[in-house]
Amino acid sequence: MLVLSRQRDERIVIGDDVEVVVVDIRGDKVRLGIVAPNTVSVHRKEIYEAIRRENQDASGLQGDVTRFNGVTPGSEAIRRLAQRHQGHGDSRREIA
Amino acid sequence: MLVQTTRFGPVEVDESRLLEFPAGLLGFSRARRFALLQPDERGVFFWLQSVESADVAFVVTDPCLWSQDFTVSLRREQTAEIGLPEGVTPQLLVIVNRRDHGITANMQGPLVINPATRVGLQVVLADRRWTTRHELVSVSPATRAATQTA
Repeated sequence: MLVLSRQRDERIVIGDDVEVVVVDIRGDKVRLGIVAPNTVSVHRKEIYEAIRRENQDASGLQGDVTRFNGVTPGSEAIRRLAQRHQGHGDSRREIA
Repeated sequence: MLVQTTRFGPVEVDESRLLEFPAGLLGFSRARRFALLQPDERGVFFWLQSVESADVAFVVTDPCLWSQDFTVSLRREQTAEIGLPEGVTPQLLVIVNRRDHGITANMQGPLVINPATRVGLQVVLADRRWTTRHELVSVSPATRAATQTA
């Protein structure tokens, strides 16, 4: 890993079109500005990780997930949602 | 086509119910083709069953049903990835999970699908209003207690 020391307002260039600028430093917090083309997606890594973990966790579900100890909480509200959904004639019907 | 599943046995699925995620889902980069199974004609939860891996399946629902103000803003590159023409509203699905206290949905990583071609991708929302564990249904403490002792 390349490690560089930068001061406030100094920049790092990655490739031809990505720039990272140190906007502010306060205590143990660094604020970074990122200038990148729209084709590059920039995200906090922990959000990516959270979604990946949640996908993995959810892939293990079995059976009827809406039933808890023999009852379906909120079943009346869900039934109403479903009815409204059926009435929509929305795009879901094209794939479902 | 016949889809092998560990949960439901072999399931005959019409081609029109197959979805394709060319980039896979986060953490499941090799699971690209899914069948959308509707267990209950009037239900709001569906199974997104992997065609390639019999044991990989997710429960999904339409987030717009639960939160009227849920929107996803897509970058041009993302609409291009799924071939979504300008002005066409994509179909949204979110992956559902079950917890002790109820049912949650991953609203921060919705699946965005081109309804015409059924090609989709999982996007990451920067909007902090939506979390990976957005509560859809909460279980009353009494039911919860009964579940734990059962």
